[in-house]
Amino acid sequence: MDNTSQNGSTGGGGSTSSDFVRKLYKMLEDPSYSSVVRWGDDGDSFVVLENEKFTKSILPKHFKHSNFASFVRQLNKYDFHKVRHNNEEGGGSPYGPGAWEFKHPDFRSNNKDALDNIRRKAPAPRKSNTMMDENLPTQQMDLVNSQLVATQQQLRHLEERYSELSMHHGMLLQELMGIQKTVINHDHVLQNVMTFLQSVDAKHRRDSRIGGPFAQQNGTDMLQEIPPSEDLPASPLANATKLLDELASHQLNFKNLEHMNEMHSRTLTITTPPPGARREPHSAASSSSLAYAKLNDLDNLVYPAGPNNGIDPMYSEHVHNIPYPMPSKETQSDPRTTFAETRKKSTQVDPGWIRPPQILLVEDDQTCRRIGSKFLYSFHCHIDSALDGLEAVNKINEGSTYDLILMDIIMPNLDGVSACHLIRQVDQTPIIAMTSNIRSDDITMYFNHGMNDVLPKPFTKEGLLTMLEKHLGHLKKIPEGLDGIPQTASTIHPGSHSIKDEASPGSPSTASNWASPNQFSGVSPATTGQFPQQPAFAMDQMNHVAHQGNMHYSAPTTPITASRGTGHRRQISEIGPDDVGNDPKRTRIYATTNAAMNQIRRV
Amino acid sequence: MASDRQPADEPEYGDDIDQSAFEQILEMDEEDEGREFSSQIVFDFFDQAVATFEGMDEAVQKEELEKLSQLGHFLKGSSATLGLIKVRDACEKIQNWGHCSDELNHNPAPLSKKDALKNIKNILPTVKEDCAAAERILRAFYNAND
Repeated sequence: MDNTSQNGSTGGGGSTSSDFVRKLYKMLEDPSYSSVVRWGDDGDSFVVLENEKFTKSILPKHFKHSNFASFVRQLNKYDFHKVRHNNEEGGGSPYGPGAWEFKHPDFRSNNKDALDNIRRKAPAPRKSNTMMDENLPTQQMDLVNSQLVATQQQLRHLEERYSELSMHHGMLLQELMGIQKTVINHDHVLQNVMTFLQSVDAKHRRDSRIGGPFAQQNGTDMLQEIPPSEDLPASPLANATKLLDELASHQLNFKNLEHMNEMHSRTLTITTPPPGARREPHSAASSSSLAYAKLNDLDNLVYPAGPNNGIDPMYSEHVHNIPYPMPSKETQSDPRTTFAETRKKSTQVDPGWIRPPQILLVEDDQTCRRIGSKFLYSFHCHIDSALDGLEAVNKINEGSTYDLILMDIIMPNLDGVSACHLIRQVDQTPIIAMTSNIRSDDITMYFNHGMNDVLPKPFTKEGLLTMLEKHLGHLKKIPEGLDGIPQTASTIHPGSHSIKDEASPGSPSTASNWASPNQFSGVSPATTGQFPQQPAFAMDQMNHVAHQGNMHYSAPTTPITASRGTGHRRQISEIGPDDVGNDPKRTRIYATTNAAMNQIRRV
Repeated sequence: MASDRQPADEPEYGDDIDQSAFEQILEMDEEDEGREFSSQIVFDFFDQAVATFEGMDEAVQKEELEKLSQLGHFLKGSSATLGLIKVRDACEKIQNWGHCSDELNHNPAPLSKKDALKNIKNILPTVKEDCAAAERILRAFYNAND
């Protein structure tokens, strides 16, 4: 009877929802279970006394399963709650330690009708809640992860693209610079030709005006008096001179380009900025290098055009600067023997500068510094010295300009490599590492930080001179000794004489850098003559990757294979023909990308 | 021209001094000033060496290997420039040992700090003596030229 009414009532209230409750109630009505499961003492709860027995024998009978956990879960679904007994209230469950007591406000032993009120808790929100709890975080994680991966990929692509573009940019820069150099070289050839033509022209005019107001007693006068207006050179010559002048002005761009190249390589090279890195505004740098370029141009111009058309005023100036007595006609052999005879010992070597090179010697050890200075002095250089890297950087930052910096590596206050790194922020002066640490990884590091060359310590006089001539080729006198030069010029102009001597085999690598066209074949790696080759090699690089690049530096160094960032660093002037950043460049790019990737991964 | 210029044109190089290196220095002397340039450099070097050795002794006491390496490097440079090869070699060893490296002895394994310090301690008297020997030779040379 009870059952049927129960059935009827549940039928109205939703049979499925209360089926479980009904079963539960029925189960509790069976007195044979009382030792295992029964109503609580107050009739408002029920107690599972023996968990194991309940699970094994009773659950299967009434609920068709033998899983206590799912039974509890079911109870929870119907909003039953496990009754917890706090220790304060009587020290554990009154039904024994292993008992489970469950309670629902409408589940009472004496109130069967209230069972209808026990409803399954709304399943949907519950379910979605668990969904949220379990799935949402992982979903979010997945989403974020995939986004991250995508971003990484994008970054990597960008990175690759960037390195590729930078590389191309670098190549183009190199190429352009090579072309610039070629142009300059051509310019010099042209200037030489011009000088020659000028003298021929002058002679011709002179010859045609014998007895004129400018009859020559001696050649110096003659050369200086050519400019006057009545004696203008033939108009084709003047035109050519003008053109040359225009060409010369392009060298300013060339400096900019070099600067750009440096900037470019700096961004590519992975460097660790030394502590306290000071960056001067680049505007200052470029302006100073511009000034430098201008100065250089003037000095390089043997035959500048302009208002005073004629012999270069700078030229007569350096005639005065020639530091030894004008050689007489018969001492046309080696300038150094001439020198030795006219001076004292053969220690003074004049490499034949068009002006004394400004050298900054950075060295903390006074012995080395004094001897280095002495050597430089004997090479007719102007020397400034700094006791450590910091002083050197300060000098540069204060605006001192040099043609070359000789830099010790290990120094107090600021080491040479850091100093070089700092100087490179603002200045492109060639920097030569002077050090006894010449292991290949050391050298790689020097180059990576912008050093141009390495002079192993203890250096010899010859080693130092070779280094100077290698990096100061642009300050070498341009031999005037074109064979066709009129006799008057050679007898009259003592300066040209000695210059000619400089080109003799006596002084190593003095041999004319620019004068003769065959120089352009790039035979001498130390001189600028090789530049025309540069573009070709750069082009090669564009076309293929696996060019076997053997880096070899002139100094007694071992080949450096895994060097990064050296290619762009160095001035073109000392890059060997097969050395135009091949594998190293690749390696660097790879390394850069790799480093970037690692960074991403770390994020 | 060379023979009548100086009583002794070169020191007795022996094992202590590298001839070509030192000759480079001598070449730098101005003829009319005796050997002022080179003698100044040489004598200053020996002062510097004495001071450096004192620094090394102190660093050994305090077991400052890094300092020892620095001092070794420092003296190596100047001694090499003057061609004082024995001093140079010893200084190079000190420099390396200061970094606990024994590569100069073809020993790739790094030294313990203790061994490095011991090696330096042992070589110090030798290098001082080598330096003193070189100094005697060079002083004799310059005194003879005074």
